[in-house]
Amino acid sequence: MAKTILVIDDSASLRQVVRMALTGAGYDVLEAGDGKAALAMLDGRQVNMAVCDINMPVMNGIEFVKAAKQLPAYKFMPILMLTTESQDSKKEEGKAAGAKAWMVKPFSPTQLVSAVAKLCT
Amino acid sequence: MPNSPMIQSNDPAHSSPASQSLTELCLGVLPVWERHLATSRSQSEVAVTQMLKAFADIGPHIDLAERQSEQITEALSQCDAGVSGLTRACERVLAPVLADPLLPAAAGAAMGEVLVMVRRAVDALENIAKPFAHETQMVAEQVDRMYMGFQYQDRISQMMALIEGDIARLYEAFASDGVGAPALSDWLVRLESQYAMTEQHQDHQAKDSGDSGNDSNNETTFF
Repeated sequence: MAKTILVIDDSASLRQVVRMALTGAGYDVLEAGDGKAALAMLDGRQVNMAVCDINMPVMNGIEFVKAAKQLPAYKFMPILMLTTESQDSKKEEGKAAGAKAWMVKPFSPTQLVSAVAKLCT
Repeated sequence: MPNSPMIQSNDPAHSSPASQSLTELCLGVLPVWERHLATSRSQSEVAVTQMLKAFADIGPHIDLAERQSEQITEALSQCDAGVSGLTRACERVLAPVLADPLLPAAAGAAMGEVLVMVRRAVDALENIAKPFAHETQMVAEQVDRMYMGFQYQDRISQMMALIEGDIARLYEAFASDGVGAPALSDWLVRLESQYAMTEQHQDHQAKDSGDSGNDSNNETTFF
């Protein structure tokens, strides 16, 4: 059974790139345009991992990570931050919130698939 | 920004004609710039999304070509069942027959000729398959580069959105005749605090990035 990855980004084109990379590697993909919409999708369905942007309207990526970690069913769901932010202070913020990895855009699909495979075991 | 030092407000009644016309100019021009930026950002998003959709249709065909290339490589493997091993297998099977002193010379010559034909056919197949495998690999590498290229739209969009917002703030400052507008230093600090990308900081500080403006440190960090 294919693993399901929740992709959260306010850019439709970015979500499309991530979708193409992950579906090409055999994953199922769910999409959300911001943190709040993503949280609404954590409704009991199987989500093996999340790939999340930082700067988004309504609810940003850090807020999403913190909120997702409060949900018992998704407490241990690994979250990869995929962002244009490369500052160490931001990375520390993501780590403190509970993210498992940090990748800076633009990313190579091979690099993303490799990181997802590592986190999704 | 309640603690920010304010620009000295100008009483419109006492503004110079030059100052008034400059304000009118900015009030007229800034919204136009803002709309141009918004349209450009929107159009680039639509264009990239359309390209990605088209690319999504091509993707499965590229994947299929890659798989076929792997199958051909497998079929051409050196094992006896593979095409490349065929010549050797034929030679091995026919060796005792060819070594038989009772074999008529004409039969031996015919078998030798058949072996040459098999060898030529195998060589021809290998010569077709090798470039195909190379081309398929090249296409896969270029696909990765295209995926990365598409992502620059997101970076550009973020930069333009920030400028749009700042133009709107500047418009408000002009519209209120500077009342409540922060000092330049505070304005710039606020603007810089919203940057996400290295090149934005470099541009802000007028530093030459020396490259096309992408964060070179794109290794994955695992926590």
